[in-house]
Amino acid sequence: MMESNRGHLLPIYVLADESGSMDEHIDDLNDGLRSLHQALLGEPMAAAKVRFSVLGFSDDVIERVRLVDLRSAAEFPRLTTRGMTSYRAAFEDLISRIPADVNRLKAEGYQVHRPAVFFLSDGLPNHGEDWQDPHRRLTDRNTTLGAPNIIACGIVDADAKTISQVATRPEFGFVANKGVDVGAAIAKFCTALTKSVISSGRSLGSASPQLVVDKPEGFTVAIDVI
Amino acid sequence: MRFPHRRAPDEPPKQTGPAPAPPRPAPPLRPQQPAQAGVYDWQQDADWQQGAADSQQGASDWQQGAADWRSPHQPQPRPTSPKNIGMDLWRRMSLDAEETADFPPRPPTGGLSYRPDTVCDGWSTHTLDLRLASVRGQQHRWDGRPREDDAAAAWDPSTGAVVIAVADGVSDARQPHIGSQLACRSAVDELLKQVREGGGFVTDWQKLLSTVHWQLREQAGRLLRTPDAGVAETAELLATTLVAGVATPTPEGVQVALLSVGDSGVWQIKHEELYPMLGGKTAGADGLLSSAVQPLPYVPRDFRPLEFRLEPGSVLLVGTDGFGDPVGDGRGMVGRLFADQLRRPVPPLGFAHLLDFARETFDDDRTLIALWPRDRERTEP
Repeated sequence: MMESNRGHLLPIYVLADESGSMDEHIDDLNDGLRSLHQALLGEPMAAAKVRFSVLGFSDDVIERVRLVDLRSAAEFPRLTTRGMTSYRAAFEDLISRIPADVNRLKAEGYQVHRPAVFFLSDGLPNHGEDWQDPHRRLTDRNTTLGAPNIIACGIVDADAKTISQVATRPEFGFVANKGVDVGAAIAKFCTALTKSVISSGRSLGSASPQLVVDKPEGFTVAIDVI
Repeated sequence: MRFPHRRAPDEPPKQTGPAPAPPRPAPPLRPQQPAQAGVYDWQQDADWQQGAADSQQGASDWQQGAADWRSPHQPQPRPTSPKNIGMDLWRRMSLDAEETADFPPRPPTGGLSYRPDTVCDGWSTHTLDLRLASVRGQQHRWDGRPREDDAAAAWDPSTGAVVIAVADGVSDARQPHIGSQLACRSAVDELLKQVREGGGFVTDWQKLLSTVHWQLREQAGRLLRTPDAGVAETAELLATTLVAGVATPTPEGVQVALLSVGDSGVWQIKHEELYPMLGGKTAGADGLLSSAVQPLPYVPRDFRPLEFRLEPGSVLLVGTDGFGDPVGDGRGMVGRLFADQLRRPVPPLGFAHLLDFARETFDDDRTLIALWPRDRERTEP
């Protein structure tokens, strides 16, 4: 019989923009992912509770790693720039991926926290593309099993309005300040957020529990700069 | 009883001069022993040869030696110790297939008064055996944060009632360890008062919650140096869950009444199965976990104590979610372990050791109180 209570896990998805316009920043993103990996390895209790997926998107989505236990993972495969920027393709992918992952983890005997998506982009989706509809379906908790919290980080010169629309709450949208070390800032931010989400202690309750996200160093809340 | 070397206050002093010499030399504090090879002399450290004293024998030899040592009237060789009792006997018990990574815990920081990593307790009344333990979780040991859980228990001799309280300080609060400790102590004090006046029963649950609520607010006021700390301010500082109540011996058996605020829980072991009775995290409609909780100082509008008879052969467990989460529905590995190990009272240190089991991703503080109704023939503790 499958053990019914093997542990509590948080699925984390890094959804990284690999479109051509990200060419200048892709090395920073790769550095940031490497730092995030290292930082979580230094937090053994936190690392044990995370299953990590890295997805690169442009015209389509390429799965770089899926539901990996960071403690046993080698270095992440590198993101590479390619093609255009289809937010629609990215969100459509998550609509099928996340429920499948949640069901898989539950079938393995784990209990699952609401997934978190770190969306990293320069905020310039394909012109005229309707990405809002799949985004709405993805984040509707009545439609998608495990509808995620999306924390959107706009890389330098990102369009703040777009970034704040992608984030599931206004305070989850950020744009990097000019001159900031994007890779280091993202690594630090993602590590802190992961730790806070999966900490075993509880949050002060309310009817609708909410994820609390502090502003990352070097970033500005996207809504503030509109 | 009078002790011959003590003097009653009204007796005149027998002498005022210097003490006389003893009639014979004072006996040695320990029986004279021949000098033994291999006894460590700290003043001659350089000459010490550890091999002379190190028997290289294992724990089973030590346990046999200890048993021999206790048997009277037979001179026995001095028992030999295992290489490292702490490591061999008290290593955290891992329930994972792979060895769990261990590390030296960091001391708690942040201007605290003394806050021990682990507390345990145990005693028996005429009708009940009690064990209590509260252990710091691995995440707090890693982070150097204090244990935020707490527990307290007391006995009223006139009615035989045992009052208990378990609390889990909410991590979001700034001083959760103070909140949980205060909630437990004030709940137990108030419950004791009520059972003394109520023939062993709790008479006013509302007053219990009000007492804890106001104790928390008073403490918050002292910490914040304000005469009237509000509820929200108090919650930000001292928020805590609480399960508190009483086990009362009656001619029909042990009657239990418990009240819970927050997600700390109550379980029972019965017919060799452990099953939940109250509390615990509830998954949302989509089956995902939520860690939010509505704790004290917020007082629920509607509350109803859980009341039942604790039957002989069953065990009452009251604990925090650090225990409840890994136990789950009680049918997994952790539930089976506790159902098996707690069929009878275990020594208090063993109880704490059991509670400190290692299980991956379950790294919260854990607190548990267990009560066993005593067999009728065992009427004396």
